[in-house]
This record gives sequence, structure tokens and C-alpha cells, in this order.
Amino acid sequence: MGYFQGKKILVPTDFSESSLNAITTAIQIAEDPASVTVVHVMVPLDMVSPGVLFGGLTNEKRTEHVLEYAKEEFEKHQIEGVAFETLVGDPGIKLADFAKDNEIELIIIPSHGYTGIARLALGSVAERVLRHAPCPTLVLRQPKK
Amino acid sequence: MNFDRQYRPLSILCSGLLIFLACLLLTPADLSAADEQTATATSEALPEAETPEPEPQGFKRIELKIDGLFGKFNKVVASIFFYPVPITPDQFQNGKGIPLAVLWLVIGATYFTFRMNFINIRAFKHALLLVRGKYDNPDDAGEVTHFQALTAALSATVGLGNIAGVAIAIGTGGPGAMFWMMLAGLLGMTSKFAECTLAQIYRRISPDGRVMGGPMCYLSEGLKEEFGSNPAMNGLGKFLAVFFAVLCIGGSLAGGNAFQVKQSLDAVAVTIPGLEDYSWVYGLLMAFFVGIVIIGGIRSIARTTEKIVPLMCGIYVLACLAIILMNLETIPDCFAKIFKGAFDQDAMYGGFIGVLIIGFKRAAFSNEAGVGSAAIAHSAAKTEYPVREGIVASLGPFVDTIVICTMTALVMIITGAYNNPQYADMIVKDQGAALTSQAMSSQIHGFQYVLSVSVVLFAYSTMISWSYYGERCWAFLFGDSKKVSMSYRILFLVFVVLGSIVSATNVLNFGDLMILGMAFPNILGVLLLSNRVKKELDIYWKKYKSGEFDNQTK
Repeated sequence: MGYFQGKKILVPTDFSESSLNAITTAIQIAEDPASVTVVHVMVPLDMVSPGVLFGGLTNEKRTEHVLEYAKEEFEKHQIEGVAFETLVGDPGIKLADFAKDNEIELIIIPSHGYTGIARLALGSVAERVLRHAPCPTLVLRQPKK
Repeated sequence: MNFDRQYRPLSILCSGLLIFLACLLLTPADLSAADEQTATATSEALPEAETPEPEPQGFKRIELKIDGLFGKFNKVVASIFFYPVPITPDQFQNGKGIPLAVLWLVIGATYFTFRMNFINIRAFKHALLLVRGKYDNPDDAGEVTHFQALTAALSATVGLGNIAGVAIAIGTGGPGAMFWMMLAGLLGMTSKFAECTLAQIYRRISPDGRVMGGPMCYLSEGLKEEFGSNPAMNGLGKFLAVFFAVLCIGGSLAGGNAFQVKQSLDAVAVTIPGLEDYSWVYGLLMAFFVGIVIIGGIRSIARTTEKIVPLMCGIYVLACLAIILMNLETIPDCFAKIFKGAFDQDAMYGGFIGVLIIGFKRAAFSNEAGVGSAAIAHSAAKTEYPVREGIVASLGPFVDTIVICTMTALVMIITGAYNNPQYADMIVKDQGAALTSQAMSSQIHGFQYVLSVSVVLFAYSTMISWSYYGERCWAFLFGDSKKVSMSYRILFLVFVVLGSIVSATNVLNFGDLMILGMAFPNILGVLLLSNRVKKELDIYWKKYKSGEFDNQTK
């Protein structure tokens, strides 16, 4: 019986291939999908895009869209039984708050391994989550090809 | 206020501006120190050296420094983008010719118009029906309706280009420039059609339903998809996309921002005396109002502007019509001048080619057809058929150039303001908005106040829309995150203040350079992808003609 078996696990996702694989990994570690919570953090809405100005784009509508998208993607990757949440804001801080509020015991996060300009500009979401995390955090680094 | 942010927006706004001001104040300190050193050096060598002329101090000095930098930069870029391409033997000898960017736009627009079989005229009625929402389906992917996308795109293009730019075009090119401007508008409708159709085909929809589209997407994705087997094309696509994004950011900071601030300042300064000496106050005020929308998140202001602008357009066009009606007897003469001027070899306005260049350049700057900016806004429209949004987009140049620009041009010609020696100084200084203001108030007493208000609102809405274009390109280059967007917004505000400081000519030139420069990557991409557009158009048009869409509407 593993150390993390049955513990509450949080997996942030941006629906990239590596983050969907991380969910599968999390289910294997927990040995039960019910203890895995998948969270998608959305960027705060900008104020000037036509969608925002004309009210066609609101956080409620975005959440709906994400839920639908998640359902499709999970089906495609045979992920079942996990809880799914959406948040809006800075991923590092929002995920840390979420983990605290929901007594998460392990965060599993994939790392894209951006390099160059993207690395400088973005920093890394994984890095930010790691810095703010209130609990053990597992970063699934991708081996360089 | 949006409480979801971790940073207090106002504190970021203030600190950004403070840093900027500190930089400005520090620079002259460094320079004066350097000056002192050289001064001591020279005084050692020549003890009796004459005291140099007193240099302007304080803000005036900073203004001159920044202005000089803009001027130098422009010169370098202009020598490439506006390389004069000689057409006539005479030009070969003189080393003059049509600016490369303008020629490129004309070639593109003409080619697309023939390739698409005059879709700009064929689909005009269909476009009106689409805008009225006859074929809208709320369940289609996207953010906004056809009408809203068109309004958003128009609020970026209808601005000072229509008031200030046209006044300068008529002032420097004579009445004939109007003819070429209208022709450019007509051809531009097809450029707009092609680029917005592509923006719809290759847009990306993120998991939360937000749309990212525009030239940077169709250049990188489109060329990869169409010429998949050719790695050179893939590389070219990526290069063009980045090149476009960089120019678009430049354009959003200059033409879509600093130029707007400067020209509206000129127009307002005519009605409020004394403002000219404190131009930076106007800049800070504008920066504050743009800042509370793009950083502070007070959407209601932007929403209200978005509604007031069409109203202002209406008032402006009505006022112009009133002036035209009041001078009805001069209309035949006026049109005679336009046609004569269009093909005249009169050296006063740079001859036939000179007038043509001015007309096409101003039209391109005003309606942005072929430039690719509007494609960013149109990509957000809800539709199942990319061609449909292209057809809607083709109305943009029509409203912008063929309706609104023509109005300004007619007023300038009817009132004779374009060759009135009294205003010659304004034309030389590129103060187009002020010129229009004078011309209109000579006919309708007190109209300068109405125009001042509408000019400020036009400038404001254009700036908001361009900040969106710039931010999308910024996000394309640096990623879609909050910090990245915030850095762009602060930069944008800095340029608002800069716009009130630097001289109009240099800002105007910088804006021209960036915005017309965007046409290089964009038109090249659209040319390469025009087969795809044509294919989609033919399929769509067949369905439309067979009445398939009419059965679907309620």
C-alpha cells in the first residue's frame, strides 16, 4: 500500500497532452479516481476584447465551455470518476488557495519545459505552484528528447 | 472593480507611470552632466569660448529628446518600407517612385478583387443581411455576433484617420486624392474579405471558448497546412507571423495610440487655448481614462464608448451632409475638381502619381484593408462559415472610406479649406483634425465644440480597440498569461503619454510605418493562401445561391 494511496490529490490541467497524462498518473498513485481533483485555471478576462465588451464572454460562459471541453477530453483519454473544478486568476496562488481550502495532500503537476523567450516571459506555472504549494508537490518533468 | 486580481490595479498603474516619469527626469540629468564635462573640456582648450545658445529646459527638453529619437528611428525603417519604386521613365531618372508599402497594398487589393470576381460588389446585399442578423446562430463557436464584430472592427478604424488623415490628404494632394481614396476603399473591401475569411478558417479556440485569431495565426498555421510538405514554407509562415505581430504591436502603440492622442490634442487645443503648453497633462488624463479600462477593469466605460461612437459617427456624417446641402450649388464644380485633380499632371500636388500615392496611403491607413488588424476582431465572430464573416468584414472599408472619409473630403473641398492660405501652416504641421475643425466651424457656427468631443471619443475608442489588437499579438509572442498582458498594458499607457509629447509629424510617420508595414507579411500570406479562400468562397456562394441558408433561417 503506497504512501499516497487514498489521499486527496490535486492535478492542475491546461488540457495539453502531458497534463492529461498527469491525471492518469495521479489516478494510478491514488489507486482511486474519486480522490483525484482536476482543476483548470483560466486567465482573468481582458477588458477590451469584443466578446467582453458586448457581454458575449463572461466567466460563467467560459466555465460552461471548459466543462464541456473537459468532458470530451476525458472521454478521449478514458479518464473517469475524477472531480473537476475551474478557477480564475493566477495559477500559482489560486491553486495554493484551493489546495489549502480543500485539504489537498498531494499536488501533481506536469512541466512543459519551455525554453528561451517563452521561459523568460512565462516563467513556469509549475515553478509558481511549487513555490506557493502548502503540501507535497510532484513535478512530472519530461525527459529531453 | 474586479476583486479577483491579486495586485491592486491602481498601484500597478501608478508605479508604471512613476517609473516612466523618473526615467524621463533622470535622462536630462545624465545628459546635462555629460554636457558639463564637454563644456569644461572645451573651456580648458578655449577659455574665451562663446556661451552656447540657451537650450530649452524641463519638459520642453525631454520632448525634444524623445522626438529626435523617433525621427531617427523612422528614417531607418522608412528607407526600407517606403523604398520608392520607380514606375515611369521620369521617375527612374529622378530616383523617385511609389512607396513600396503602398504599391504592395495596391497590387494585393487589385489581385484579390479580380481573383474573387468582385466579391466586394457581388456580396454587398448579402453582407447587409448578414449584419442585420438574418443568419445568426447563437450556438456557433465564437464570442460575438456579426454585427458586434463589425462594430468592434469599425471602432478601431473609424477614428482620426477619417477626420485628420483625410484633411491632410486633401490638403497635400488636392481634391484628386479623394478619387483615389474611394477607389482604394472599393478595392480594399476585397482585401478585407480575404484576410477576415482566413482569420476565421485558422482561428484557435481555447478550452474556455476564447478565440485567438488573425494574421499571426493564419500566417503560421495556414502556410503550414497548405504547404505541409515544404519545410521552407513552414519556416516562412512562422517568420511572417512573428514579423506581423511585432509590427502590429508597434502599430498599436503608435498609429492606434500615440497618433490618436496627438491629433485629438491638436483638435482640442484649438478650442481650449493654453492647453498646448501643457500637452503632457492631456496625455496623463488620457492615460488615466484608458488605464481604468484596460488595467482597472471598469468595463462600463468602454461599453458606453462603444455605444456612443456609432452615434458620434452619425452626428459627424449628418453635419457633413448639412454642409454639403448648404453648398449644393458648388457640388458639380467640386466633382469636376475631383476628377480633374485625379488625373492632373499639376506639379503643385506632386502630379498624377503623387496624388494617387496620397489617396491610397491615407485610405489604407484609415480603413486598414490589407493591413490585417481587423482580422483579429473578426476572428471572434460566431459563425459556421468563415466566408460569411469575410463578407461582413468587407463592409468595413465601405463605411469607413466610401462613406465617412468621403464626407470629410467633400467638406474640405466645398469650404475650400484645402487651398486656403490661412490654413497652410496647419497642413505643413500635419494638424489634420484642427484643420477639419476650422473648416466645419466656418460653415456651422460652434461646431468645433461638437467636433472636439467626438474627436476625443473617436480617439478613445480607437485606442481601446487597438490595445486589444496589440495585446493579442503580445499574447501570441509571449504567451497568454496575466503578467504578460499586464506588461503590455503598462507599455501602452506609457505611449499614451508619449503621444502627447512628441511632435505630430514624427508620430504620424512612425504610425504609418508600422501600420503600412503590417501589409508586407499579411498580404504575402493572403496571396499564398488565396486559393483556399477562393475554394471556400465558391462552395459558400453555391450554397447561398441555391437558397440553402434561407431555409435554415427562422
